[in-house]
Amino acid sequence: MNNLHIQKSAKNGLVFAVIIIFLALIGFTVTAASMIQKVFGVEVSVGTMPKYSALIAFLAFIGLWNGWRAAKQTEEHPLQAGHAILAGLASGFVTGLFALGYSLIVGTLQSNGVNVRVYLSSLSPESIIYFLFGQSPLSGGFIQLSLSTVSAAFGALLVIFWDRSQHQFLIWKQKLSAWGNASWPAKLRRNVFVGYIAMGVVLLLLVILPRTWGSYWNYVMGTVGIYVLLGIGLNIIVGYSGQLVLGYVAFFAIGAYSFALVTAPEPHNLNWNFWIAILVAVVASAISGVLIGLPILRLRGDYLAIVTLGFGEIIRILIKSDLLKEITLGPRGIRNIAGPTLFGKSFSSDSDFMYLIILAVLLSIFLARRWQESRIGRAWLAISQDETVAQATGVDTYKYKLLALAIGAAFAGLGGAIFASRNQFTGPEDHVLMVSINVLCLVIVGGMGSIPGVILGAFALKGLPEILRELESYRLLVFGALLVLMMIVRPEGLWPATRPKYEENSPPPVTVEGGSR
Amino acid sequence: MSKKILFFVFVVFAMILASCSGAQTPAPANTDAPVATDATTDKATDVPAAAGAPAVCATDEFGCAVIPPGSTIKLGMGAPMTGDYASFGIDISQGATIAIKDGGELDGFKFELVAQDTQGAPEGGAAVANKLVTDPTVVAIPGHIFSGSTEAAIPIYEKAGLPMLSPSATNPPLTTLGSKVFNRIAFTDAVQGKSAAEYLYNKLGFRKIAVMHDGGAYGQGLADVVKQEFTALGGEVVAYEGIEPGKQDYTTVLSVISSKNPEAVYFGGYVAEGYILANQMKQTGLENAVFFGCDGTFGAEFIEKSGANGEGAYAASLIPPDSDAKAKFDATYLADYGVPAGSLSPYTWSGYDAAAALIAMVKSVAVLGGDGNLYVPRGELVKAVRNMSGFSSITGDITCNDVGECNTAGPTFYIVQNGEWVQAPK
Amino acid sequence: MAEEHHKRPVKMPQLNIKIIRLIAAFVVLVLLILRIHNVALESQLGASTWLRLSVSGLIIGGMYALIAIGYTLVYGILFMINFAHGEVMMIGSFGGYFVFEAFNAIPVTLHDGTQISFLNAQPVIAILLAFLIGMGIAALTGYFLEKIAYRPLRGAPRLVPLISAIGASIFLQNAGQLLFGPQRRQYINPVIIDRGLGWQIPIAGTKVLLTYSGIFSLVLSATLMVALYLLVQRTKLGRAMRAVAQDKRTAALMGINVDKIISQTFVISGALAGSAGVMWGIHNGLTNYFVGFLPGIKAFTAAVLGGIGNIPGAMIGGLFLGIVESIGPAALGIDFQLQDVIAFSILILVLILRPSGILGEALTEEKV
Repeated sequence: MNNLHIQKSAKNGLVFAVIIIFLALIGFTVTAASMIQKVFGVEVSVGTMPKYSALIAFLAFIGLWNGWRAAKQTEEHPLQAGHAILAGLASGFVTGLFALGYSLIVGTLQSNGVNVRVYLSSLSPESIIYFLFGQSPLSGGFIQLSLSTVSAAFGALLVIFWDRSQHQFLIWKQKLSAWGNASWPAKLRRNVFVGYIAMGVVLLLLVILPRTWGSYWNYVMGTVGIYVLLGIGLNIIVGYSGQLVLGYVAFFAIGAYSFALVTAPEPHNLNWNFWIAILVAVVASAISGVLIGLPILRLRGDYLAIVTLGFGEIIRILIKSDLLKEITLGPRGIRNIAGPTLFGKSFSSDSDFMYLIILAVLLSIFLARRWQESRIGRAWLAISQDETVAQATGVDTYKYKLLALAIGAAFAGLGGAIFASRNQFTGPEDHVLMVSINVLCLVIVGGMGSIPGVILGAFALKGLPEILRELESYRLLVFGALLVLMMIVRPEGLWPATRPKYEENSPPPVTVEGGSR
Repeated sequence: MSKKILFFVFVVFAMILASCSGAQTPAPANTDAPVATDATTDKATDVPAAAGAPAVCATDEFGCAVIPPGSTIKLGMGAPMTGDYASFGIDISQGATIAIKDGGELDGFKFELVAQDTQGAPEGGAAVANKLVTDPTVVAIPGHIFSGSTEAAIPIYEKAGLPMLSPSATNPPLTTLGSKVFNRIAFTDAVQGKSAAEYLYNKLGFRKIAVMHDGGAYGQGLADVVKQEFTALGGEVVAYEGIEPGKQDYTTVLSVISSKNPEAVYFGGYVAEGYILANQMKQTGLENAVFFGCDGTFGAEFIEKSGANGEGAYAASLIPPDSDAKAKFDATYLADYGVPAGSLSPYTWSGYDAAAALIAMVKSVAVLGGDGNLYVPRGELVKAVRNMSGFSSITGDITCNDVGECNTAGPTFYIVQNGEWVQAPK
Repeated sequence: MAEEHHKRPVKMPQLNIKIIRLIAAFVVLVLLILRIHNVALESQLGASTWLRLSVSGLIIGGMYALIAIGYTLVYGILFMINFAHGEVMMIGSFGGYFVFEAFNAIPVTLHDGTQISFLNAQPVIAILLAFLIGMGIAALTGYFLEKIAYRPLRGAPRLVPLISAIGASIFLQNAGQLLFGPQRRQYINPVIIDRGLGWQIPIAGTKVLLTYSGIFSLVLSATLMVALYLLVQRTKLGRAMRAVAQDKRTAALMGINVDKIISQTFVISGALAGSAGVMWGIHNGLTNYFVGFLPGIKAFTAAVLGGIGNIPGAMIGGLFLGIVESIGPAALGIDFQLQDVIAFSILILVLILRPSGILGEALTEEKV
């Protein structure tokens, strides 16, 4: 343990000081404390602060983490208990000092009658008093200081215990992997029928679940399903053919609106059949994909990205503009969009839609797989690896890129049509840039070019914010942070693609370097 | 490959079968709205045949909401809490929260507001609605905030029998959908636009005006009505332009309008764009034209941000200028949230009223069961809200008509004089 | 699908497409010019209106250019779209706001006994400090943004940093909302750069107001652009940046600390975005957590329009975009609502004719 270690620990403490002060400034300390209290079954009544013990629990948790990181940073093997505690103490003390300073500043301002909330809107007087444990700024700050220091020291101690128990885990791990390599599970894994049974179980779940888990989960999972659809479509464009498209929402909007316009009683009163309308939506989106692709697919990389982004914005603005108000009803949106019918019966309950979405997803997975494994898929692969080389080897890059865009657009059209039909309403606010960004994110978070990745990504991108609803106004903040974290921890995606093998003894595939060269 | 295809066909078949069997189960017969019927909605069946349940629950169309002791009676709200329009959602939910506090208790049960984020989009509106109907202790909805998200939510609440009372969804057709549950305090764009056009033409004597809107459903709907009515009265609309919210620099469009010399600029939209327009009118040769806003541009924020440039600007509102109720609310708001009421959006008072009215209605129908649970008959509550009459609050007396328009008074026009909104001569 | 396996791909004649595209673009151009000609002849928009439109376009274009330079600098070195750049601008904008707000609260008594705020007593200091703090905070944000969200991803597939940037953008935007509240905050300008006052220029019978804030923004953005150009071309740091942009590995071999240069690039681009943010507040008068979103996207467009990775290109792209946006609707005689449609259509048109932007030198094909 030398000066360098202390310095490192102090730096670590600084990082946590920033975190604590930031959390206090955005009022998250109060929310976190209420959540902790809720977990223990005590509801927080309206207009009051949670108990101080909850706050202590939350701060202690951060302190433990602080100490943990500080001790880990010493990079000592084996770590000595004394050094670990020292690192934790130093780190926690630095954090605590800043917390003390923050408490002093904010508390003094508060007691002098300054309305801090005018500038920092989350700092209500109650939350400041709460952060100070109802004490004066100085004593509140000292509580913070001691809490931070003590909990960080304990966090550092945890590292020691963790290291001690590490070899136990290792033994278990070895046992497990030995079991995994044993002959019969491996045989089982290789057996085709086991795969079918697993598939059958999944399918059975897909058949049963929509009827059992209620309308809310049908809605959320339906949204996830629609995004899976979109993701598979965009995956063809970005993952397979390697073209970065940021205006995918345009095709979604075209699908949704063409579906809505031919089925809704207003504004054109066409009232077409659901299935014909779906077909119309898909074809319209595919055609628009070709039309926009024709002039711009020569562009590469980020040029293509911004042009398609512009295209998406153009479509959105046109939809809501006064110019096309007679055709699209402008910002008001289209209502009473038809649901699916079959043999004269209406199938528009939430579980019916869930089935429809599952079918559409299965169909699109099937199609995407087929395409990927076909000659077209290989052409896309070549283009995404190196366009110039692909061209030199006789791949008509232009044609195949156009095809990818058209197919991707068609999937978006299908998604848009189902989306509009399920909500019975669609308006320009449904087709904003964030949709494109979300779909792109889910493709990449899941793992580019991989279909299971798309599904996982859709759960992460559209399911997570719904799950995070409990966090109320913090949910998008947490979501953004998680997105960054996910990329840092798993840059290749949650479920990276494995390239299909075309020949025996082919060299291992090169990892795909980015979509847009 | 053919094996796989066969497999897929089998799956499709299975799904259709599963779906078919779903459609055969009897569906509740409410078909006056184009609402999907669904047998699996658990709402109607959440009433246990408990011994303590009052008789009304057995006969009620939607059954009762059962609130066990220790739980709160929840009002659910769908509002934009993040994104570009977050200030509206946050403000309206803050207004409603004050109403919850003022609402006190009912037989020992407290009220609670559950404000969920819609991000202002229809998709979010539907998500929130689906979320709220799964909570059996949510009894009424003071919302949603924007017309689009309200529209997407109505069919879902309709199925579950949750009465809505929107403070700010003003799109006229919302009440013509035949919905039993949807009601609103805000007056429709049609009513407001017509009276604004008449005011401009008859009272102020303008013959040439420019009409602008923010490209949203609310603003554009309003601008359309004004344009139509003003032309019908014999006036001339020299320019009709939409702007993109958030851009903050509208000098270009105003310059072009200024070259057509209108006597007034009517703007349908929200206060955030309203005061920018009022400010930039002075920079672009429209110094002499009058800025005429709507209920979206009313409020303290307009004056605060436009200063001297806002003098002589008009706006409409459903809030009476001064009342004890308003003064009391304003004081509470300032104390609770540190900023004056109306500085985040013009609708916070409506948010209070919507919540307060719903609380009163819940109190009027709820029954304390013999088992200590509180029973709120949902069908009764829906009817009670629709039949609400003379509920007195900040925005005046709330009386709902048979389609759910609860503000029958029509707009009051205000003008900025010496840095304050005062009632304009009628 | 089955036939697809056996069919030979139909070769599209490459040359013809190029010629067709050229002809199509030419036809569109001619139509555009005809339309502009007709509208200009027909419309009653006088010279004063055109002047107003151009000035507005230049001012907004200057801000776009400043933000676009940030995109282009980062792109030139890391080949990534720094999607969170608009949010960096937003944070800078708040920095300036708080400085003005603080100075406005300090009263100063003049010799003749009148009380005015410090803001108007020492406007130059106030403005300088506002820009210093705004740029400083934004630069700091840029620095940490790179360190936390992008540096761990060095060497990852190219789209991964983009997603990280999107995540950071969402995070910063919501942090802004939670910290400073959802409401729009009004910039209090010192009187010498007032938004409502300015020079009255008599033209064609009417007077056109050139506001002080507008002139100030215009001059400042021009100055900053020149300064940046000099920095990149004349200083050691600029030389290092250019070297890193050209070839990171070789630059490292030449003794350049690549990580440090990348950090400094983020600091510079952040500072420029911050200055644009303060300018935005001064000129448009408002700031809130969402203020960076639209200009961010527009500036990104401008950077691509000018040829991404190219600094003069970003400047020209920004100004061009600003002018097209403000004059376009009037010149074409269509709704102002369609401003962005025009802007993006022009972008598509330009890129069809010059696939790597106005000043781009086929960068993407060789360097990426």
